[in-house]
Amino acid sequence: MPLYETTFITRQEVSLSDVEKFTTNFAKILTDNGGTIVKTEQWGLRSLAYPIKKSNRAYYTMLAIDSPVPAIKELERRLGLSEEVIRYMSVRVEKISKEPSAPIAKTDAQEDTTARPAKVEASNNEESK
Amino acid sequence: MKSSSSDTRNKKLFFRRYTKGCPLTGDAAPVIDYKDVKLLLRFVSTRGRVLPRRITGVCSSKHRKLVRAIKTARILALLPFSAT
Repeated sequence: MPLYETTFITRQEVSLSDVEKFTTNFAKILTDNGGTIVKTEQWGLRSLAYPIKKSNRAYYTMLAIDSPVPAIKELERRLGLSEEVIRYMSVRVEKISKEPSAPIAKTDAQEDTTARPAKVEASNNEESK
Repeated sequence: MKSSSSDTRNKKLFFRRYTKGCPLTGDAAPVIDYKDVKLLLRFVSTRGRVLPRRITGVCSSKHRKLVRAIKTARILALLPFSAT
């Protein structure tokens, strides 16, 4: 069965316990349709790079999934229907790493990744002379 | 050949590539991942645009993957479409 990473973004107004409730609900939809959850990740409250539906911060949840195509279709349909989920996306991946993925692997202090400016040309030039 | 050499001499070099080889190829190179915002920011301008290969030095196959990762990250609001 193909592997996917489904990330969905929940409105900030919703409490964290509700986010976890949604996660288990969506996981149940998937398992009912014959899929399996490999990994669940809560990235927590992050600031968005641009406002989505007038919210500037939101909760991120990622599900790493091993499931047949119809189950993913059903999950995406439900995510679209939910009013608390403001954005979702499934990405097909080759393999799922066991380690926590980049957003939560770093220290908790770096929550506002989008807020800080991109350091680009300067650092590139200095490094490699 | 003459014309081309004079062209390059007259052209002002705003950006120079100093790196030898692609920063995303090799054993120690980081894996291109749409979730890794810190990595992707290195290949994006301050306005949020993808930097050209002639500046970053990324090889073409990795650059295509990088662009895809950046676009995916934009949809998830991890990176801006445009920043002021």
